[in-house]
Amino acid sequence: MTGLAALATADTDPTAWAPSQFTLDNGMAVLVLPDHRAPVVTHMVWYRVGAMDEAPGKSGIAHLFEHVMFKQTDDIADGEFDRIVTRSGGRSNAGTSWDYTVYYEQVAKQHLATMMALEAERMTDLIIDEDPEGSFITERDVVKEERRQTYESSPSRMLQEKVFAEFFRGHPYEISIIGRMEEVGALTPQDGQAFYDTFYSPENAILVVAGDVTPDEVRRLAEEHYGPKQPSGLVSDRRNWQALAPLDRTVAVIHTDPKVRQPVWSRYYDGTSLLLDRDRALALEVGLQVLGGGSTSLLYQRLVEEQKLAISVGSAVYSFLRDGGPALIYASPSPGVSLETLETAVMQEIAALLEAGFDPADVQRVRNTLAADAIYQRDSQMSMARSFGAWVTIGGDVQDLLDYPNDVRAVTTEQALAAVRQVFRPDAHHIEARLLPDMEDAE
Amino acid sequence: MRRTLKTLIVAMMLAGCAPTGPEAPRAGSDPFEVAVYDGAFATIQQFTTPGGVSVWLVEEPSIPILSLRMAWKTGTTSDPIGQDGLTDAVTYMMNEGAGDYDTQAFQTRMEELNMSFGCSAARVSTACSASMLTDNLENSFELIGLAYASPRFDPDPFGRLVRERAVGLETRQTNAGYLASRALVEALYPDHPFARQISEDSLAALTPEAAKAHKDRLMSRDGLLVTAVGAVSPQQLAPLIDAMIAGLPETTERAAPRPVDMASAAPAPILVDLPQPQSLVQFIGPGVTREHADFYPLAVMNYIFGGGGFGTRLMDELRVARGLTYGIYTQVDPDAYLPVLAGGGTTKNESAAEFVDAIADEMTTMAETGATAQELEDALLYLIGSYPLSFDSNAKIAANMMSLRLDDLPVDQFDRRNERISSVTLEDVNRVAATYLDPARYTFVVVGEPEGFTD
Repeated sequence: MTGLAALATADTDPTAWAPSQFTLDNGMAVLVLPDHRAPVVTHMVWYRVGAMDEAPGKSGIAHLFEHVMFKQTDDIADGEFDRIVTRSGGRSNAGTSWDYTVYYEQVAKQHLATMMALEAERMTDLIIDEDPEGSFITERDVVKEERRQTYESSPSRMLQEKVFAEFFRGHPYEISIIGRMEEVGALTPQDGQAFYDTFYSPENAILVVAGDVTPDEVRRLAEEHYGPKQPSGLVSDRRNWQALAPLDRTVAVIHTDPKVRQPVWSRYYDGTSLLLDRDRALALEVGLQVLGGGSTSLLYQRLVEEQKLAISVGSAVYSFLRDGGPALIYASPSPGVSLETLETAVMQEIAALLEAGFDPADVQRVRNTLAADAIYQRDSQMSMARSFGAWVTIGGDVQDLLDYPNDVRAVTTEQALAAVRQVFRPDAHHIEARLLPDMEDAE
Repeated sequence: MRRTLKTLIVAMMLAGCAPTGPEAPRAGSDPFEVAVYDGAFATIQQFTTPGGVSVWLVEEPSIPILSLRMAWKTGTTSDPIGQDGLTDAVTYMMNEGAGDYDTQAFQTRMEELNMSFGCSAARVSTACSASMLTDNLENSFELIGLAYASPRFDPDPFGRLVRERAVGLETRQTNAGYLASRALVEALYPDHPFARQISEDSLAALTPEAAKAHKDRLMSRDGLLVTAVGAVSPQQLAPLIDAMIAGLPETTERAAPRPVDMASAAPAPILVDLPQPQSLVQFIGPGVTREHADFYPLAVMNYIFGGGGFGTRLMDELRVARGLTYGIYTQVDPDAYLPVLAGGGTTKNESAAEFVDAIADEMTTMAETGATAQELEDALLYLIGSYPLSFDSNAKIAANMMSLRLDDLPVDQFDRRNERISSVTLEDVNRVAATYLDPARYTFVVVGEPEGFTD
């Protein structure tokens, strides 16, 4: 493979493309990501509030509230929000995470002002239905169905919920974003109103517009639609959670379900996130990709290709969280191989590979792949708006994303290896997870 | 959206006129014509390479990448009897080693070039797609060409494929979506080739040798369709494509399956037991192909009834008003061999029967009383106004062009589609609603532990 390295360049010209950033007088941040290929825009409003900000016993309110934001305001009747968007040829949706909540519309560019008017309207003028049989309560039933669909009908998701409850114990991340079923079922319209009053305000919001627009157009429209919104003054410095404490115990979590036909084994270790420790997170991204990222990785070669003990194996780090960064290793066995055999083999291979060290050619290839991903990402307006919006909302700097290709290329073999060795050091605690068939019901 | 169709000869490429530079392509010395269709959504350049490959290209210089799609009109129905899964195996193996590169070396080479290349099979088509950086065009095309000319079909990756598929045979037994679609297939067209599926026996019958031989029945120079979007000109692209396909066989015999003749709808919902707290409901009934006069009215009616997400009859009633579901949808699939209207959603087991009844009731209401003028206006505004969103990335445009090509649709179809949609009237919508939304046309399946049904 020598001589090929020179081909593996994916240089980005930092002067060729750049976002614009400014802040409105009311504290609302604005980010513009130009993309002039098609006459469309992606318009997003991000709020610095997520499931981590929920009061004890009120899990799920951030996500349920996101649903309620599509109901009525003092000027927009129930059902009209979606109708105005679709009559403009637009698509809208929203998402809630532990760290943030985002609302967005994709639309032909001539309708950008209409979308801003809609988002500005529901930022401050939402009406929450207090009728015990009204839209808030019906939407609560919808969210319970969502939980049944996305969690309770999915054994792997149920296992993950249990694992995160252990891994993040003592931190708000210990509860799933969608919330606990019994707590969601007890949420009231008053809970919704209190949540809205506390967190929805222009100084707690970030506007992201990607697409066929200029920063000047966005500034003019944003000042017109969002500018008049007065800051509530309630939201500053509320997010005082600290970075997750290191694991102080090793625990095994098992989830069985008669639907499981293929066992899965995994372990979660302390890693880090790009916001908590950028250099180490970059090194860890590279190192865990060399170790277990895709079919060219070391673990895949050993365990899937050579020993044929696994049908899948991999490692990765959750590097985009605000307060934590679990490093994950997972594997699923070939037919006839027990999880115990697989676990032993995986851990032996990790120990041997980390003892031997990484081949600099592997590290270089991974670095270039991660850097090139940033170029391919530019093909998707939505993906760009999501990445930049999420990063800025959790407190990151736009320049960090622009620097990512160069910074990831600067990670050395030694740094990548050291970061992975630190994760898997002999005295490191971990949460182990096993997804197993329910033996009583298995055939 | 006025369409503008102007066919021009914009390029006569002669030897020596190729783009200059140290890596300028040298092949492709014959002149070729480029016809330009300047549509509202994309400016499509159509040409046939000197090597005989028909290409649709959209030049997009702003990002240094190329999205490439290649397809043939032969798919999984070409699997020999007893070897279900063979076409899938061929596509799986296409990036698992070629020439001197074994699987690891091939995958590594793709990463070194920061490119991707992979193939997949549908019922009546096989497609390969690739993404590459324009800096690495020549090397990337060369690697794909090697996969087309001399794929290795090594026993090791083939054994991995067999292990993965064996696991798939296990996991599908508790996959609600698989169980629902399988029950519908068994009820409606159990003997058609579209009902065939991989099994333990057929998996055991697959061999690398059989896959290698089968590849030549799927992929040939003749019948290859190419679409591309990216920072590349026809003059750059043509010789790269010609070199890439040099190792494919000249031609192959392609047989189309007969259209599906669906059985009558099942008189009652088919119940499939699966231990989970929620029931998956799916339903399917006969539809029309794209050529049928009812196709565009059906597309608009579907949007109003259940295709458009929020604001549709089904979402308004079952989710917003009654809180029975996280989501319910319907869709029109104008498949040339199996045109259908279909839909589905999930609800807690306790409300499964109520959910199915409510869907049928909404069908009846729509069939009997039709849509309102306001609903039609809203639907047309969305269906036409949202269309540009399908053309905002290189990958989407390349995929959209390929779906036109696989359906033998003309280059101005993107613009024609809006004309046809905007001419749909309320009478059209209500006529097709009355015909196609009769609940008796639909077979329902419910997977879970549903309550309220009497066997």
